[in-house]
Amino acid sequence: MRMQTDLATIEVAKHGLIYVSEEMGVSLRKSAFSPNIRERADHSCAILDPEGRTVGQAEQIPVHIGSFPVGLRNTLAYLRREGVQPAEGEMYVVNDPYIAGTHLNDIVLIRPVFLKGELLGYVANKAHHVDVGGMVPASISPRATELYQEGLVIPPLRMMAQGRIDPGLLGLLQANSRVPDLTRGDLRAQVAANLLGERRLLGMAAPIGLQNFKAICDEILDQTHRVALGEYAKLPEGRWHAVDYLELDDELLPVRVSVALSSRGVEVDFAGTQRQVQSPINAVLGVTRAAVTFAIKTLLPPQLPLNDGFDRTISVTAPEGTVVNPLKPAPVAAGNLETSQRIVDVIYKALSVALPSKIPAASHGSMNNLMLGGVDPKLARSWAFYETIGGGQGARPGSDGVSGVQVNMTNTLNTPIEVMEHYYPLIFTAYHLREGTGGSGTWRGGDGIERAFKARAPISVNVLGERSRVRPWGLRGGLPGKPSEYLVRRSNGKLERLRAKDSTTIQPGDELIIRTAGGGGIGREAKRRRITPAESSSLKPRMGFYPALA
Amino acid sequence: MVRLSVDVGGTFTDAVMVDDSTGELYALKIGSTPRNPELGFVDAVKEVISGRVDPERIESLVHVGTIGSNLLLGQLGIDLPACALVTTKGFRDVIEIGRQNRPELYNISFSRPRTLVPPSLRFEMDERIGSDGGVLVKVSETRLRELAERLRNSGAETVAICFLNSYVNGSNERAAETLLGRVLHRPVYASSEVNPEQREYERASTTVVNAVLAPAVSGYLRSAGEKMRRIGISAELYVLGSSGGLLDIAEVGRRPILAVESGPAAGVVAASEVARSLRLAKVISFDMGGTTAKAGAILNFEPAVVPEIEVGGRVNRGRLVKGSGYPVRTQSIDLAEVSAGGGTMVSVGEAGEMAVGPMSAGADPGPACYGKGGEAPTITDANLILGRIGTTLLGGRLRLNAEEAARAFERLRKRSGGMGAEELAAASLRIVNFQMAKAIEIVTLERGLDARDFALVAFGGAGPMHAVEVAESIGITKVIVPPLPGLFSALGMLMTDMRYDRVRGMVGLLEEVGEGEIDDRFEGMEREIAESLHERGIEGRPSFRRTIDLRYYGQGYELEIVVTRPFQRAAVTKAFEGRHVEVYGFAHEGERIEVTALRLATTVPATTKKVRLGEVEGEMPVAPEGRRRAKFGERWFETRVYSRELLPVNGRAIRGPAIVEEYDSTVVVPPGWGCVKNHLRCLVIERV
Repeated sequence: MRMQTDLATIEVAKHGLIYVSEEMGVSLRKSAFSPNIRERADHSCAILDPEGRTVGQAEQIPVHIGSFPVGLRNTLAYLRREGVQPAEGEMYVVNDPYIAGTHLNDIVLIRPVFLKGELLGYVANKAHHVDVGGMVPASISPRATELYQEGLVIPPLRMMAQGRIDPGLLGLLQANSRVPDLTRGDLRAQVAANLLGERRLLGMAAPIGLQNFKAICDEILDQTHRVALGEYAKLPEGRWHAVDYLELDDELLPVRVSVALSSRGVEVDFAGTQRQVQSPINAVLGVTRAAVTFAIKTLLPPQLPLNDGFDRTISVTAPEGTVVNPLKPAPVAAGNLETSQRIVDVIYKALSVALPSKIPAASHGSMNNLMLGGVDPKLARSWAFYETIGGGQGARPGSDGVSGVQVNMTNTLNTPIEVMEHYYPLIFTAYHLREGTGGSGTWRGGDGIERAFKARAPISVNVLGERSRVRPWGLRGGLPGKPSEYLVRRSNGKLERLRAKDSTTIQPGDELIIRTAGGGGIGREAKRRRITPAESSSLKPRMGFYPALA
Repeated sequence: MVRLSVDVGGTFTDAVMVDDSTGELYALKIGSTPRNPELGFVDAVKEVISGRVDPERIESLVHVGTIGSNLLLGQLGIDLPACALVTTKGFRDVIEIGRQNRPELYNISFSRPRTLVPPSLRFEMDERIGSDGGVLVKVSETRLRELAERLRNSGAETVAICFLNSYVNGSNERAAETLLGRVLHRPVYASSEVNPEQREYERASTTVVNAVLAPAVSGYLRSAGEKMRRIGISAELYVLGSSGGLLDIAEVGRRPILAVESGPAAGVVAASEVARSLRLAKVISFDMGGTTAKAGAILNFEPAVVPEIEVGGRVNRGRLVKGSGYPVRTQSIDLAEVSAGGGTMVSVGEAGEMAVGPMSAGADPGPACYGKGGEAPTITDANLILGRIGTTLLGGRLRLNAEEAARAFERLRKRSGGMGAEELAAASLRIVNFQMAKAIEIVTLERGLDARDFALVAFGGAGPMHAVEVAESIGITKVIVPPLPGLFSALGMLMTDMRYDRVRGMVGLLEEVGEGEIDDRFEGMEREIAESLHERGIEGRPSFRRTIDLRYYGQGYELEIVVTRPFQRAAVTKAFEGRHVEVYGFAHEGERIEVTALRLATTVPATTKKVRLGEVEGEMPVAPEGRRRAKFGERWFETRVYSRELLPVNGRAIRGPAIVEEYDSTVVVPPGWGCVKNHLRCLVIERV
């Protein structure tokens, strides 16, 4: 039965549900212990209906959109199979990426919410824990060959019953972390966020009753679905193919895709993609789905809400045993770092013919993950540091790409140079744009970044990058961006080239130089308009535009 | 003695004048001149004094406005000066890369805010300071002379200098500033002077914004002062700072960043005076005007302040989107903002989805009921259709057309599945009130507080119309509407003191810095500011508040802690840990604590007598009392309309539904609420 609900009720409830997840996020960030959650906001919150459909999700991080709803549905199905009936006062925990959707560091907590004894829905949140055990501090190792080296695997378990946390289970999780206090603090914050979400959800539903609430949720999902279909109807129908590559040692791994657009939605098929590898770049299906959802979302109007009404317009098929849908126990910790970036690129590439006025050229296409560690000689304690570095965005139809920026699936902040020099034994020598690395064209790609420092004590370096051999492609005659380079200049002047995924140690006086790729260009350079002074601020400068060094 | 305050807003310019000899207050609201705010400012002053007071009797004149941010947004008819930036060699692009994030996650076509320093004006110097303050490469005088030559030929009109680690040791920057200033005869600003704090991008951005604004803002103030003198006003001009205190124009001319968000701060300062006068420890200021609604928390009579803002940034769900504007590190009153005001437009999409905002009809054409050609229905139109406001506003200056309002809503009938104007108007108010309620809840939740424990102080032209229903949906049970709510920000400026904020970066472990060293540094800062106030002829005994920024070693965020004189490490440690528990819910006891900056807030009592709340009559006769039909919930009520000036002080409570009209606003009291005018002439609206 379709209830006669007025427009204001739908609008208020739609945003109300998003706000509930937004407020859960505020609460989680405020009481979490680890900076990763507090400052990088590496978490997501969502509200589900009793059937496990997402009805409200805040726009938090891209890798959680698309993957989080699937992970929650999988978890609820798993619990049902195990004979666990959701009951009042319970909460469940899970991090198994093959069920929950990303990697082991992401721990999910789900709470069923009841109104007068009846299941109203679920509130859930997912947060990146800094350490869940495994072979290296912070759990993510470029050298892992199976999942078990990446940390403790938690299948869906009941962690709270009758309002009380299971101390045994909490103890087990803590015992498997290198930072047990952070683990406990962050889990507590996750519990608190769910409890706040429950209160807020009940506050919305209690005055109108269960049946009305459900009817409103149905209408919200239907409305979003209608809006999404209306948008697809404006796009051309057809099927398009593309291939792009990941770099691993000396090999290039194909990521192959066919994308079909129709008035019913999008179908994406990864047939022909590289078999899974003994490297953590395998992306579980949840991550693959997240990257697809991200790419599609960027092509639709920004106000389209993230809920099941949108999700159901996207179908993803990925052959089992490939880097985009590996089988357990393939390691997967880095799938959402680099492989997810390439999936977005390849989908854009496939659609570039169909949607020439929307699709950008390839961006620098990597998170340029840099993991540093050592022993601080002054404080005599070990330190570890992780960061990602931006690069050139691909040209957009109608405007140049932005230089030195995070693209696609990541948007984390850099660490200020003055903060790094203050805490770690290193001194920076450069942080600037790589002039002219964006592909030229009618519209130019953004420039990459050069970021370099010298060690003042021995530092172990792990690099997880991309696009050092396969340059970010251009479109319609626009040239590709310049590739990335990962270099060490030893103190004796000798220059060593690292591979895109590599490890080394640098000694005092050695310089690590990271040069990230430029974005691809669009259209032939010859058609580039002369820049008028008024436009020059919105366009990228030409070579040699900088004043020479004083 | 006469005091005058003018609030130059985006839609309206408000003026409030108090004559101490008679106790009389005059107020005025006129349309703004957004491209040339000086014009509106001068007109407002002329009109409010004309025929009432002799200009020579005016002893103080306060200017409130968003000149700084509007300049940066290119909304004024003034070109920004060409600004050069001098950096350490290898780091010229820090200003462009920023924090390398993008402001919009899902928008491929996003752009960064227009760069204030084009690449052709980024210059590098061979120089280097270590993270411990050691000089690794001293800046060379020969190179500086070469640089000066190149700067001269570059066309730069103003220069910012930002070297790495200059917040610990500014000697290289100072050498450059001195030489370039001497040779170039153009304004030169060193980051170690403007904002000596850690984090190179934010420091560079703050310095650049200051360098860009200084010539334009000081020019504006000079010319405004000139025009004041021409009409016979010789009083000093003061400007409201973003942190809520008044500043003299010499200070603002040199450090315009201090007043960059002056306009929105004014209302919160005024609301904190209400909180103080009524002894309300927890207050939320709720300021709703033509295009936006803003909420700020006031705890123990002090507005909540943040150390950094982004000027010209974009707002999402009440909070600023990081990377969407220009970061400026200056103490500013913290506000949550939503695109919800009288002019906010209502729409219905193809799939029948209804939306309120973010587009606004602004002042021109304005809401449909203004009859100036606006076709889209707005919140003001909804209020008119439902009888919340009458057809005559501002004492007859503004007449509204209800038929135009209804016609605008009728255009949405088809897409909305046959809803009529009345139904759509009611739906619009529900949605907009909901949005504002949520922004308020987020502001308090972020501080770990429960919004229901607060009282709402409502003002702005549209605030008193919506406040009670917003309060109701949150669970707040007390709403205060101060006198002259539509001109309240301007009025508040006559109630405040002068305030000067200073900061010095100082990074080191708390256990390692000497207590005496911290005292010495604070004393140095106090001496410096006292001397500079003296030089500018600012009298009055300054009082100082010392605070210190602390963080756990390795943390990326700091807390500001008030310190005593003399400095006591043990007490500060305890205070920091207590505050950490308060803000974040836990403390890492025994973990090392790091100092990052010393802050000094200097307050100088305003030289003229301050206005007190109870003294403000400020109630001007408006339309006669009577009745009109107004809709609340599903029902139309024959609603009693009162004139605010005629309400007796501490009289019998008016029972809702009721409407209280006044010159500059309309107060809506829905069923279930009661309203009393208290001894300070505030309307106190509570659940009955």
